[in-house]
Amino acid sequence: MEWASVTSAAIAAAILVVHLLRRRSVTGTSKVWLLMGLGVFPILTAGTANIAGFEATQSRKFCGSCHVMIPHAEDSGDPKSLSLAATHARNEYFGEKNCYTCHKDYGMYGYVLTKLGGMRHVYLYVTEYRTMPLEESKHAIRILKPLPNANCMHCHTTNAPDWLRVPDHASSLASVRDGKLSCASAGCHGFAHPMTKLGKELASDGRISR
Amino acid sequence: MKLRLPPSERLLRIACVLALAALPLMVWSLFDPTVWPVLIALSVGQGLGTLSFVLFLVAVGRDLHVQRKLATRIRPLD
Ligand code: HEC
Ligand code: HEC
Repeated sequence: MEWASVTSAAIAAAILVVHLLRRRSVTGTSKVWLLMGLGVFPILTAGTANIAGFEATQSRKFCGSCHVMIPHAEDSGDPKSLSLAATHARNEYFGEKNCYTCHKDYGMYGYVLTKLGGMRHVYLYVTEYRTMPLEESKHAIRILKPLPNANCMHCHTTNAPDWLRVPDHASSLASVRDGKLSCASAGCHGFAHPMTKLGKELASDGRISR
Repeated sequence: MKLRLPPSERLLRIACVLALAALPLMVWSLFDPTVWPVLIALSVGQGLGTLSFVLFLVAVGRDLHVQRKLATRIRPLD
């Protein structure tokens, strides 16, 4: 994908440079060349770069490229970390996309909604968090809505016999399924990002406790 | 007020320069897939690229229009 994008960009650039350097009057032939150099090849470049770009927005590297997400990204990359986010990052199914796999919207318009939510994050980053020191942002940044248990349940169905045999699962089944009790809460599996919870914890339903 | 566009030849040169600015912006995001390169590629890069192609279409469209007009004017003299 990348090489297709770069190659078509190079071809387009070559056509355009030749056009700019040869100061001839514009003829039918040069218009055809320009159709290639301004239309066909740049559109190829844009198309492939778009796909690669949207793909990139799902990677941990991308999420970690705003400094306030460095603690989250570093923890996920730490092979010794026992946080939920990190244990899931070590699984190949999540791997480099572990942030996205847990945090994406799983609904029908999930992809678009996730991207819109991401744009909001970028906006907030530029307007509020760009200069915030990490020590502060770790406590100031909290999840807007609790991460739905339904996201976990896309993989951990809550139907497996061994899962149901766990006493705590059995006793809290209803509140787990309807999201009143967050799987990633202090009494249960712990926070997904425990290193940010020092000082400002979340309640057991995943909401910010006041 | 009527917007006066530069002659087609100039228009096409402007389009070339815009596209030459847009292409590296789009390619940059491939090599550094982090927030600013990707965002700039998808906004400024795409925007400039689209604008350059639109200028091309405007120039070609206008030339065709002029040619057609000339053709209809010349015909009665045949
Ligand atoms: C196992 C699923 C999971 C993974 C993987 C995951 N998160 Fe989270 N994330 C959560 C949950 C659940 C919360 C709610 C707070 C908590 O449990 O720590 C959360 C909260 C957050 C918050 C709100 C602030 C905070 O620290 O509470 C941010 C920001 C965040 N995640 C970013 C990330 C980034 C960046 C990555 C990738 C490096 C990531 N998450 C990976 C589940 C996950
Ligand atoms: C995309 C599928 C998927 C999602 C979503 C997911 N998990 Fe997991 N989870 C797994 C897999 C696969 C493993 C096994 C990991 C391994 O051993 O490599 C796992 C392991 C676990 C474990 C055992 C970890 C350990 O240290 O033994 C817990 C607890 C867990 N998940 C809870 C959660 C919670 C809570 C959420 C939601 C915030 C969640 N999972 C979301 C697939 C998922």
